Amino acid sequence: MSLLQELRSVVGEQWVITTEERRLYSLDGFTVAGRDPEAVVLPENEEEAVKVVKTLLMRGEPFVVRGTGTSLSGASIPINGEVVVSMSRLNRVLSLEGMEITVGPGIANIMVTKNAPPDVFYAPDPSSYSVSSIGGNVSHDSGGIHVVKYGPTFNHVVGLRVMLTNGEVIDVGGRSVMDDAGIFVGAEGTLGVVLRARLRLTPRPATTLTLMGTFDSLRDAGQAVINTYQRGVVPAAMEMMDRNSIEAVERSKFKTGYPRAEAIILVELDGYGAQVEEEIRRTEAAFNEAGGRVITARSQEEADKLWRGRKGAFPAMGAVSPAYLTLDNNILITKLPEVLEQISKISERYSVKVANVFHAGDGNLHPLVPYDPQDPENLRRALHAAREIAKVAVESGGVPSGEHGIGVEKIGFMGFYYSEEDLEAMRRVKKVFDRSRILNKCKMLRLEGCEPVGQLRTLWEGD
Amino acid sequence: MNECVHCGFCLEACPTYVVTRSEVHSPRGRIMAMRLGIESQGLETCVFCRRCEEACPSGVPYGNLISSHRKADAAAAGMHRLLESPKALAMALRLTMRGSGPTSLRLKQFVKEVYDPLEYRDQRPEIFLFPGCLTSVVMRPTVERALRYLRRWYRVEVVNGCCGLPHQGEGERGRAEEMASKWSLSLKGKEVVVLSSNCAAHMKERWKDVNVYDFSEFVEKKGLDVPNVKIRVTLHEPCHAKVVGISGYTRSLLRRMKAEIVEMDDPSFECGAGGSYFLFQEDLADSIFQVKAKKVERTGVELVISTNPSCTMSLWRRFKVLHVADLLS
Repeated sequence: MSLLQELRSVVGEQWVITTEERRLYSLDGFTVAGRDPEAVVLPENEEEAVKVVKTLLMRGEPFVVRGTGTSLSGASIPINGEVVVSMSRLNRVLSLEGMEITVGPGIANIMVTKNAPPDVFYAPDPSSYSVSSIGGNVSHDSGGIHVVKYGPTFNHVVGLRVMLTNGEVIDVGGRSVMDDAGIFVGAEGTLGVVLRARLRLTPRPATTLTLMGTFDSLRDAGQAVINTYQRGVVPAAMEMMDRNSIEAVERSKFKTGYPRAEAIILVELDGYGAQVEEEIRRTEAAFNEAGGRVITARSQEEADKLWRGRKGAFPAMGAVSPAYLTLDNNILITKLPEVLEQISKISERYSVKVANVFHAGDGNLHPLVPYDPQDPENLRRALHAAREIAKVAVESGGVPSGEHGIGVEKIGFMGFYYSEEDLEAMRRVKKVFDRSRILNKCKMLRLEGCEPVGQLRTLWEGD
Repeated sequence: MNECVHCGFCLEACPTYVVTRSEVHSPRGRIMAMRLGIESQGLETCVFCRRCEEACPSGVPYGNLISSHRKADAAAAGMHRLLESPKALAMALRLTMRGSGPTSLRLKQFVKEVYDPLEYRDQRPEIFLFPGCLTSVVMRPTVERALRYLRRWYRVEVVNGCCGLPHQGEGERGRAEEMASKWSLSLKGKEVVVLSSNCAAHMKERWKDVNVYDFSEFVEKKGLDVPNVKIRVTLHEPCHAKVVGISGYTRSLLRRMKAEIVEMDDPSFECGAGGSYFLFQEDLADSIFQVKAKKVERTGVELVISTNPSCTMSLWRRFKVLHVADLLS
């Protein structure tokens, strides 16, 4: 029996795509480089998924596991033309016990909270949470605006069921020391196949309040963030927008009426009545001390309105360009003004209009680098700019990626931060889990046989 | 098409993606198929609910893209001609439902009774009541109630016909435009009150110089008196009405009537009819209906308010369904 026949016998004729339609799986949220998969397989449940993966392993057939395909770093692109195994149909809630919920990897993040009792919620909320899958969230250790208080996905994974490349299915996690689930969180599908996840739910706060600070300089805004922490406040979310992004929002359909300032910071505080009141008082003082002016939303409606602009910041900038790279470098909050200054110089040098949104609470910077996919020269400039921004961020004390993962996009940035020894250690880990490099090859780590194709050369090698 | 940045935010908004979980049957996949110029089943399976447009952060005009791409086959085109003439539609429905072929059986699940469209005209009418083609022949009692209610304040003429939405969605865009021009000319400057919310949405977008109101919108904007009702309901929001932003009027009208509304999850999620989709894509339509039915059942409420005929026909297979106009008399 051929490979395709065997796969069809497992999942049924219609769930193996080999026609031209397989090309619809050549890309994810990263559109700079794509490649058509040999075939796409969509198992219906865990049992079928296990059989599909076993079949591929037995035949030594390289494959890429995909959830919803929202990766911004190209982690789910079949960059070597691999078979794509889509987990999107494994989207069931398998059990719910107390504060823990067990789900299939294909379930959308938002559905976890929707299926939980009303007094609890699933805290990690990447901006793609209405669609992105839990399998992908686990594999990217996804964050979101509430990461500052609640932590990224890592902090909410109790256990995982994973299939290893030797065909063994293991249940990991749930230990207080030497927790073995952690290694699969953020591994971008390079070490094993996530089949289910047991997740921790969080009690819903009784009160949620929003305030906004306005600042005359980025430096003042950065100081305000530091002051806030020094006064013992851990906000649920703390987001900063610079003048460019405020202007982009105000010109778009997400117009909010933000003040025309050098920077604004939006803060969400949550918890219980008296505690939130106290945190508001302290945050106001922290912001005032840094020269900021503060307004507090008096109703949920006002709060929603203040957040609307921030939530529209990406699309508002997206609307000025047909495509963009969304970088996610983490930097030190104290270095924000310098880094932004350098980014603006890089923008000028390459004539690309970069705008910045900043998860100020945890130092995760999103420089959005626009490009025109129809114009190779313009794309080349954007890629150069992205590479230099990554370099600047790392040199200032930051890291190449805060939450979107390395994928194919940032392989060439790994060397900015990690030493050759670090990278060798990672390659060894990969070898332990996947000796024949069958799982999501050429993601995260540049292994033997991973040559960048086309535009990726610019990102990987600076050519 | 170039506005699509491939973020995938549309996926879970799309009913066919929700039930298949395949990129092929998703808006993002369809846009890519059009871009690449490849043949894809997905281009046939789109329900044309346009909920993806709401979910899209980049403002991709998906409805326009798919409607220019599609070409109606003889069966669809034939159906569209019938819809244009409600009287002929009523005859055709009666005839088909007498048969025992698959289409007849399918229709009998959705259509309870077939009526001749109500014809009515006051002297020097001030407003025009436009039931919509299906409403006029399948829900005539609702038309009668709406007319009785509106006549308390206005001189009314009932205008029967098709707005052109089915043509727009199912591959006869040129014809849809012709119809829009014809109506725009004959009803120019008039106040038109529509009993089918998705038709109202289409008319607002495509008809020129006509003051189109969804029924609830008219009642709310004119501040007409409404009775208090002691009922518990859950509200289905017709998809296109949601996209153009008029579905809030029905909710506010129900509140003004002191009805207790128990919200269902994602109220504008496709009903499982999709115009004539339920005839041409039976399996997908039924899978979508199962998802919708669960959302309704979870509210624990027996009565659903729906202001669009195909949605009503789909929902009343399992639930008690009323138009908001049915509550006014």
